[in-house]
Amino acid sequence: MNQPSTIEAADRRFGWFMSAPTLALLLAVILFPVFWALFTSVHDYTLIAPNFDTFTGFRNYLTAIGDSQFRHSLWLTSLFVLGVVLIEFAIGFVVALMLNSVVRFKPIYYGILLCPLLMNPVIVGLIWRMFLHPSLGIVNYLLTVLSIAPVNWLGSTKVAIWTIVMVDIWHQVSFMIVLLLAGLSALPKEPYEAARVDGAGTFKAFRHITLPLMWPVIIVTLLIRLIFAVKTYDLVYIMTRGGPGTATDFVSYFIYRTAFVSLNVGEASAMSAILLALILLLTSYLYRYMRSLS
Amino acid sequence: MLRQFVLGFALAGGLSAHAYAETVTILMESVPDTEYVKTLVPEFTKETGINVSLEVVNYAEMHTKLVPQLVASKGSYSALVVDFYWVGEFTKAGWLQPLDDRIASDKFDTSVYVPKMMDLVGKVDGVTYMLPFYNYAMGLLYRKDLLADPKNQAEFKAKFGMDLGVPKTWDEYLKQVEFFTKDGMYGVVNQGLRPDPIAMEWSNYLFANGGEYHDDNWKPTLNNEIGVKAIEQYSTNIEKYGPLGAASFSFDEAFNVMAQGKAYSYITYNFFRAGIDDPSKSSVVGKVEIMPVPGPTPETGGSLNGAWGWAIPKSSPNPDAAWKFLKWVESHQTAKKRALQGGSPTRTDVFDDPEVNAKYPYASALKQMLLTSHNFPVFTYTPQLVEVLGRELSLVVAGEKAPAEALATVETEMAELARKDGKLK
Amino acid sequence: MKQTFKIVIPHVILTVFSLAIVMPLIWLLRVSLTDRITAYKIPPEIGTLGFMNYYEIFERYAFVSWFLNSLLIALLATAISLPLATAMAYAFARFNTGGPLLRLGVLASQMLPPIIIVLPLFGVFLFAGLLQSRTALIVAHLTIALPFLTWILVSFFEGDLARLEEAARVDGASRWQAFRLIAVPVAAPGILAAGLLGFILSWNEFLFALVLSGPGTQTLPVGLASLETHAGVEIAPLAAATVVSLLPVFALLPFLRKHLIKGLSLGALK
Repeated sequence: MNQPSTIEAADRRFGWFMSAPTLALLLAVILFPVFWALFTSVHDYTLIAPNFDTFTGFRNYLTAIGDSQFRHSLWLTSLFVLGVVLIEFAIGFVVALMLNSVVRFKPIYYGILLCPLLMNPVIVGLIWRMFLHPSLGIVNYLLTVLSIAPVNWLGSTKVAIWTIVMVDIWHQVSFMIVLLLAGLSALPKEPYEAARVDGAGTFKAFRHITLPLMWPVIIVTLLIRLIFAVKTYDLVYIMTRGGPGTATDFVSYFIYRTAFVSLNVGEASAMSAILLALILLLTSYLYRYMRSLS
Repeated sequence: MLRQFVLGFALAGGLSAHAYAETVTILMESVPDTEYVKTLVPEFTKETGINVSLEVVNYAEMHTKLVPQLVASKGSYSALVVDFYWVGEFTKAGWLQPLDDRIASDKFDTSVYVPKMMDLVGKVDGVTYMLPFYNYAMGLLYRKDLLADPKNQAEFKAKFGMDLGVPKTWDEYLKQVEFFTKDGMYGVVNQGLRPDPIAMEWSNYLFANGGEYHDDNWKPTLNNEIGVKAIEQYSTNIEKYGPLGAASFSFDEAFNVMAQGKAYSYITYNFFRAGIDDPSKSSVVGKVEIMPVPGPTPETGGSLNGAWGWAIPKSSPNPDAAWKFLKWVESHQTAKKRALQGGSPTRTDVFDDPEVNAKYPYASALKQMLLTSHNFPVFTYTPQLVEVLGRELSLVVAGEKAPAEALATVETEMAELARKDGKLK
Repeated sequence: MKQTFKIVIPHVILTVFSLAIVMPLIWLLRVSLTDRITAYKIPPEIGTLGFMNYYEIFERYAFVSWFLNSLLIALLATAISLPLATAMAYAFARFNTGGPLLRLGVLASQMLPPIIIVLPLFGVFLFAGLLQSRTALIVAHLTIALPFLTWILVSFFEGDLARLEEAARVDGASRWQAFRLIAVPVAAPGILAAGLLGFILSWNEFLFALVLSGPGTQTLPVGLASLETHAGVEIAPLAAATVVSLLPVFALLPFLRKHLIKGLSLGALK
């Protein structure tokens, strides 16, 4: 009678045994910084006076929420994140499906799509600044050859954010492809064979077999890309510095400036904590959604 | 027996520690002057036996790297270079060692520096924290070949009723900007990227119109006729007389427009004067000259001053060796060798050196530029002021804010910062 | 007819996509073979052509040191994080170790902007006496890679796999054997992808590498960023350095050819 519970206990022990090394490492290195950040967010901690002498409670949080520039940067970031995650997913899924269906040239396609991923965002930003130079760049030159008026890629408040989205897609779309392709290659073959016997078409098989089986990988891919997209700051830092005006002032760059330009680490930590709470909320929602599907 | 052994061991240890050559580690930004110093460093090692390790990082990311080092009690860097932006912050936070005692005991002469340099990256409230390293005061790069063209001269005279020549006043220069915007040429290329490129460049516009950032009591003096005029001129220059996209140009994009021969003028850091004569970067070699940004009258200038200084941080592991290096690198001889390679001097005796003048005839113009230049407000929150100013100027250029409204915002935030710093009562 | 159509369409789409990726890289290659003045000439001219930038990155810059540091750090960080993350992901997926709270908690550290983490992290390494060492960078990169890789891998261990393992357990396999002999081979495509992304995470990481590195331990991103100087961007040497740093991808291709085609699928084990 007590056998299932011994098995359960052994399972649990084995689970902890498998997680222990990773957890120990994370605890040793990252736990202190995370709590430091949370602790700092309720103190008046600046780089001029880096101490925890003044406890301020939630004042930093209130200041952050009351700052219209901060709210504006949150709004811009959601726009950017939504844009890049959805577009990259759409392109990435199509390419991954195609890639999964071919045999010839597969390593070549794969090698090509890995290239942007191996480039640092700083480099990507710098070379695209060059390509997109309004009067000396190759992109606008090609447009004029096609008799299209040159585009003010980074100098116009309406265009700049989409330019960043475009460059980010070029840079990061392969991230999605790598993960989704791995998911596709891990799919079992039998359901497809069964479906073929039943005479189901390609689209039907996709809709009823591929998509449901792929959900866990899709959700995790979206989630991780989303977390990275929220943290995007190098690209903006190199390409627009949040400008023109405040058109590309994403939240990570805003927090960076609050901490290292305004020297107000306390307030920057509070902003980070707010950001953390928002992403955590979104993640647990997505996570639960994922569970409900499988 | 044992004691002797232990003693011998300790001695040997002590000796070998001495035998270890000392190393001065310095964090520097990637600029031409750093390269020049790098080439001279072996001489220092030969002279003193001290090794020098220069770690070079991206200038814009340097502050991020420095701050944790400086907050720590013991850092990795013996000496630093400090941008004038950070002077207020670093001294207020108590991160730099005062150099006065060392200067006095070694009789190091700081009176050879251009006084404005010592104000900017030397002394703070009477205490010397830095030795000025190189200056990046801004000047006006202009196409002298276009000015000398008789056809242009005749046309200009017909249009404006005055002779075309090296501009003596700011208004004269603005007329030239308007005039040269023709036949695919732009009168001026601007660096409108926020925050520092635009804030630094616009400062010249402010000074050139006779404005200043604040009065003697640190009360902001921006939101007035002069300030508004300076912003209006700036956005007109970007929109009407400059290339598409100048509103987001950093100095790299702007320099390339100038170097491709597509603009008549460019207000920028003086070290680009050397770059414009480099045939691998520029198609206008020998056609460009530099001068102080003209002021409201021929006697005054509108240039913005800027510089980096050498300093020894409190967290320095070996301040004595660091001081030896500073003394050497800022000696007349080393400073002159650096200038001869194309570096930007800060010492008067280097500016006036005949060899330097023979090699770089524009050295006297650079000195003049420093003498007539204006300083940006240096206080604890300089970087934040640059940030606010950059954002508001960029909003005006983007057409999202009226000049007076933007200046009012800058004034409010600047006053708040100055008050926080105890400058404004 | 329909069959050829089915084969051709993917190749058309993949070619278009590959061109979109590769065209900027070709232009980059061209920039790397010329000087700055030619690179910015519009309309484009052939101008000076040569390998001077390639020469320069090796002569004037510590490119070799940057490259080797990055390679070493990324390889070690991946080699350490991949097995660790695989083990933890398996525990999460199969035994629900720590529950959803631990799962979210692990990832939460990565939801804070790194700029906030960098100050205390510096303190941690100062305390450990590891500042400016490659070890510090490897450990810092591990803390980024582990949570992400774990999450990726969990999704590969979930699903039908559990039934298969149960069957094996009934046949007398130990937990470790079920993990080692069934779960890992079936999840191989996921593990390979996770390893690749772990490598990329470390290879591209900039902020921690900037703050924690020192003379001689600078990584490629930190080194290359220094080519954006206060006197303009050294775009041509930068392009050359980027081209050289992409070459390892092509060294990787034969390896990919073998492993990319298909992971061991469930069917193969049944």
